[in-house]
Amino acid sequence: MLSGLLKRFSGKKKSKDEAKKRLQFSLIYDKLEVNDTTLNDLQKDIVDVISKYFEIDKESLELKVKRDDNVSALVFNTPILHVRRKRAISL
Amino acid sequence: MEGKIIVVTSGKGGVGKTTATASIGAALALEGNRVAIVDMDIGLRNLDVVMGLENRIVFNIVDVVKQRCKIEQAAIRDRRIENLFLIPASQSDNKDVLTPSGVERVAKELRENFDYVIMDSPAGIERGFENSVVSATEALVICTPDVSAVRDADRVIGLLYSRSLDPKLIVNRVEPSRVARGEMLSHEDVLEVLSIELAGIVPMDEQVLISTNTGTPLVLQKDSKAGQAFVRIAKRLNGEKIPIEVPAYKTSMWSKISKTFGLN
Repeated sequence: MLSGLLKRFSGKKKSKDEAKKRLQFSLIYDKLEVNDTTLNDLQKDIVDVISKYFEIDKESLELKVKRDDNVSALVFNTPILHVRRKRAISL
Repeated sequence: MEGKIIVVTSGKGGVGKTTATASIGAALALEGNRVAIVDMDIGLRNLDVVMGLENRIVFNIVDVVKQRCKIEQAAIRDRRIENLFLIPASQSDNKDVLTPSGVERVAKELRENFDYVIMDSPAGIERGFENSVVSATEALVICTPDVSAVRDADRVIGLLYSRSLDPKLIVNRVEPSRVARGEMLSHEDVLEVLSIELAGIVPMDEQVLISTNTGTPLVLQKDSKAGQAFVRIAKRLNGEKIPIEVPAYKTSMWSKISKTFGLN
């Protein structure tokens, strides 16, 4: 009965607002999850493209999804062994 | 003309899928449609007890898919509601005995014989879910206004989209007084989070448990708010243009006073 009055004075926030906020965040976060198969396929494709231009060390490269509080980034790290001689690259 | 196949699903268990399936199916039959409700929760069947037909099971959906019997042998006719049939799940098998291709074949035959086929999907997103959605032409997602049900609904909605289904949402067990106090997500909150079309809102109703206790159809209880909400959902599915009713919160004297003084 007096809950409205009490809330007014205690300054307590509505719990449903917190529920909504937490849901919105977790749903975004859930969708950023990438499964291993996708990551492996992506790595293979990236290596194929880069190999057209550079000779890279396929053993020591790494691909991962880096997550921060605000941003998510795809980080691809590879040592370059050689720059391939310029050939006619078909586009 | 071929009938519609509606899958009722939720991801999370215990949000009222079975009650919703039984009620919407019964309401569609009351509208004059020929309706088959299929319990796809192999190994954990429940629609039969909720509908009060548990004593009349001879064959089940696994028997039909495995071609051990005909559809009309497995379909139990409801004696209280004309044109309502239940095809129960098997209790002894495990979910993997059915394959999507097997279910698809049976679903095709069901469509030819019924106006509506309603698939009650099991909780989860594994094989049982796959089997339930494989032939669906429409999808209903049920969720309650809490974080876990909404999150699971989001996952299921994504899976339905990837199968080119455009699901509609039923928000179940809404308690208007708690929504008014800000203790419960409102249907607007849920819709905003999920960005999906609303099929209907069903209020929390003590009558649901009483109906399942006795195995009587909820939609036949004229005083059941949830039952009548399901009737309206079924009418809209059936093409009737009736507005979505938002469960109202009866304002007490005190809340009227406090509203006047700006305390809420």
